[in-house]
Amino acid sequence: MKARMFKNTMIVAAVAVVLTVPAFWTVARADEVPAFSLAWSEYPSWSAFGVAHEFGFINGREGEMGPIEKKWGVDIVLKEADYDTCLVMYGSGKCDAVCITNMDALIPSLTRKSVGILPTSTSFGADACIVVGDITDIKQLRGKKVYGLAKTVSEYCFVRNVEILGEKESDYRFTNMDPAAAALAMQQKRDGFDAIVVWNPFVLETLNKRKDARVLFDSTSIPGEIIDMVVMTQESLDKPGGEKFAWAVIDAFYTINREMAKPETRDETLIALGEKFSNLNLDSMRKVVKQTRFYATPDEGVTVLGREATAGIMEKVVAFCVSHEIVPEAPAVGFGSREEAEEAAFRLDPTYIKGFVAKSK
Amino acid sequence: MIRQPISTRLAILLGILSVVALLMGYTLLSYVQHLDNPDDTTIPTWSQLGEGVQRLLEANPRTGERWLLLDAEATATRLFLGLFYGIVGAIILGLLMGCYAPVEALLVPPLSLLAKIPPTAALAVFFVLVGTDTEMYVAMIAFGVLPSLAQSVYLAVHDVPREMLYKAYTLGASQMELIWNIIVRAVYPRLIDSVRLQIGPAMVYLIAAEMVLGDVGFGYRIRLQMRLLNMNVVYPYLAILAVFGFGMDYCLRLLQRVTCPWFIRHGR
Amino acid sequence: MEYPLVLEIQDLSHWFGDNLVLYNVDLDIIRGEIVSLVGPSGCGKSTLLRAIVGTHPPCRGQVAVYAAGALAPAVVLKPSRDRGIVYQQYSLFPFLTAAQNVAMGLMLDQTSLPFRFFRYLSWRNLRRRHLAEAVALLEKLKLGHAIHLYPHEMSGGMRQRVAIAQALVMKPEILLLDEPFGALDEATREELQRMLLTLYQENLDARRMGESPPYTIMIVTHELNEAIYVGDRVVALSQFWNWQEQGHRRCPGATIVLDQPVPVYRPDEERHFETFIQIRRRIRHAAFEPSVLQDPQEYKTFATDLASGRGEGVLQ
Repeated sequence: MKARMFKNTMIVAAVAVVLTVPAFWTVARADEVPAFSLAWSEYPSWSAFGVAHEFGFINGREGEMGPIEKKWGVDIVLKEADYDTCLVMYGSGKCDAVCITNMDALIPSLTRKSVGILPTSTSFGADACIVVGDITDIKQLRGKKVYGLAKTVSEYCFVRNVEILGEKESDYRFTNMDPAAAALAMQQKRDGFDAIVVWNPFVLETLNKRKDARVLFDSTSIPGEIIDMVVMTQESLDKPGGEKFAWAVIDAFYTINREMAKPETRDETLIALGEKFSNLNLDSMRKVVKQTRFYATPDEGVTVLGREATAGIMEKVVAFCVSHEIVPEAPAVGFGSREEAEEAAFRLDPTYIKGFVAKSK
Repeated sequence: MIRQPISTRLAILLGILSVVALLMGYTLLSYVQHLDNPDDTTIPTWSQLGEGVQRLLEANPRTGERWLLLDAEATATRLFLGLFYGIVGAIILGLLMGCYAPVEALLVPPLSLLAKIPPTAALAVFFVLVGTDTEMYVAMIAFGVLPSLAQSVYLAVHDVPREMLYKAYTLGASQMELIWNIIVRAVYPRLIDSVRLQIGPAMVYLIAAEMVLGDVGFGYRIRLQMRLLNMNVVYPYLAILAVFGFGMDYCLRLLQRVTCPWFIRHGR
Repeated sequence: MEYPLVLEIQDLSHWFGDNLVLYNVDLDIIRGEIVSLVGPSGCGKSTLLRAIVGTHPPCRGQVAVYAAGALAPAVVLKPSRDRGIVYQQYSLFPFLTAAQNVAMGLMLDQTSLPFRFFRYLSWRNLRRRHLAEAVALLEKLKLGHAIHLYPHEMSGGMRQRVAIAQALVMKPEILLLDEPFGALDEATREELQRMLLTLYQENLDARRMGESPPYTIMIVTHELNEAIYVGDRVVALSQFWNWQEQGHRRCPGATIVLDQPVPVYRPDEERHFETFIQIRRRIRHAAFEPSVLQDPQEYKTFATDLASGRGEGVLQ
């Protein structure tokens, strides 16, 4: 009897210890360096963060810090996933910052106040409508199925070009399909795949693999309208260390851009960028980074996040999202610091780049 | 003591309790998520879910279509056609393998290998070979289901005792009669069991393919609405899929009970 | 005395690779008799049975069957409706009721798949007649209450009885029973043994009327009492014979070492245990003693016994 009671007490004590240890552990860790997460997916300008980890400038693993993180006193945690998953992670609060397009950023910003802290690139030919056969004019696409991922930048690029060419969107049938699948179908010369709207690397791959394929129109007609950027939640910025995280991320991005500018490290960086992106060779990767125009310097970054350059663009983007039921209502878009754009659901704020530049001097 | 039975009433009560606990757990999860962000849509509250259900039931103002009906029709057609071909093919192959040693030697190795390939990973293969319409989905489901089902049929045929076959010969059975009247009837209940097990995987392949390729269907709708962070549409769809799967399973069990009253389940 | 034959086994030998099982088995089975085949475990009784059924044709020698009234026998090449069999287990089709099981043979033998499919209505009519015949036979064998039961709902004894009915409805030339009662309890076994004796009585009635006896049965059993009680002839198969003396380097297989008539009992008759003991001793000596290796001819007294009038029942 006594032995059983003793055994029971020991068991209870052991369980209590096991349950409380994590609590002690987290308390002890609280005075350590704050950690923030950045979700990214494979895309030329976003892969810069993966390359920064590979080259050792930052350490994407939680609890480990590279030189840039130590400099700013913050731990960057990288989370790689495919684009849709990154979006959902950000929208449900599972990461602090995400690599996202200006268009898709509107979706989570309705429920989570978001701030665009760093523009990484813009599509300048990286999104294209590819046609085959004897199609030379957009009017020939009337009534035909044009395949691309619906409710994304592909559709935006298509619809905007239709507008620019003076046509009516209702005359055209944009049909949903994954760009990888659509590109494969066109490369396989399948019936019915005469026109696709895809992004890189599928644009270059299709043009390479099929000799009669050509670009009907692309995002060069809408320069600067599709902006790839890093967006962070206001909530995370407000946490202690949030600003430092923004600066660190910006630092990492421009560091890689510097490596790309230096002739001795350029090729190596390009290859690293292209490794998981596609099976395009070095030459094609050089084309890729021309079509995805990197905003390689802080000056460019600050300009893009400014009202002058981008307010009109954001209006068009918001209008598209509302009319195509991507968002249930138009989110308020603002420019500038928090005080300047208090009410904005989605705010483009150059102060963090400015802050980074100031503190780096 | 292990396997000590409990009263039916208690079993039902516990079942209801666990479902209630699940629902309450979800409500708590949603509540916590909304504390963190009141506008959250990724773990919707019950009222948000209600809105979502409304959305998929009512006619879209622009196109006049109801999401649920459109998607259900597309997905169901693909699923049933795929299952049909898969099951018929598996029965024929399984019977041939079980009855004729040359066929067995020929087909068992490739089928065992094919059975291990996840069709979702081989999506590109189907896409390249068959195209992108209904045929592709049907081919993918059929080829996803066929190898393991054919193996099950083949094993079941092997399990038919020799004595029964010899007996049938002495009763004047021809080869065809042996297969149709004896073997098929003997393996029929196990066939139903195996089909029941394949419904789940078939649905997985289909939804996964629809997510990548479709422009209509459950998989397509879920992917799209997930990207738009409208989880209040996604969760009802998931619930519908679960109910559907459960319903199919129940119908098959009922079929087995009605057509095979002689089939004994061990351990009852 | 004329004894019409039903089965002729000539010079039958069988082996599995290096494993020599049967050697020069010669056996003639008379129409209307119940032959009990006994022998030590693993000597090849089932192998012999399978050769007769036709599922495993012998490596050497042959089995030939006389159709009713035929003057010459036909060699057995594969299983057919003229040789019925009942196994110890898996004796019935589990997915059919008793009546359907019994009617199955009629259906399989008399119709074909195309007939049943394309002439569905005629088939339905025929089917009704088959089921009626099946039910009649089951009632005759006192299984009227089991007509609609599935095998898993029947006791072991009932199952074996239905299996016998299933085989008999085909009116085979010979019915083979492979240790049919081995899995049953004592009381059920006796009940079934008495059922076989009842069938034998029908043979005797037919003989008296000058007609051909309807049931010829060969029963394989390891129970010597059962063999003597049920049969009117006992045949023992054994590997314990003087093969070395006859010039073989190793045992070439089991052969028949004993063949004699045994007393016939009516179903309600009491057994004579002294006779049983004697015969059992004889059988054990001839077949079951590894140390007693005698010439096979020594105990094969069937022919001479018949000639001197020592046969009973059908063998008189």
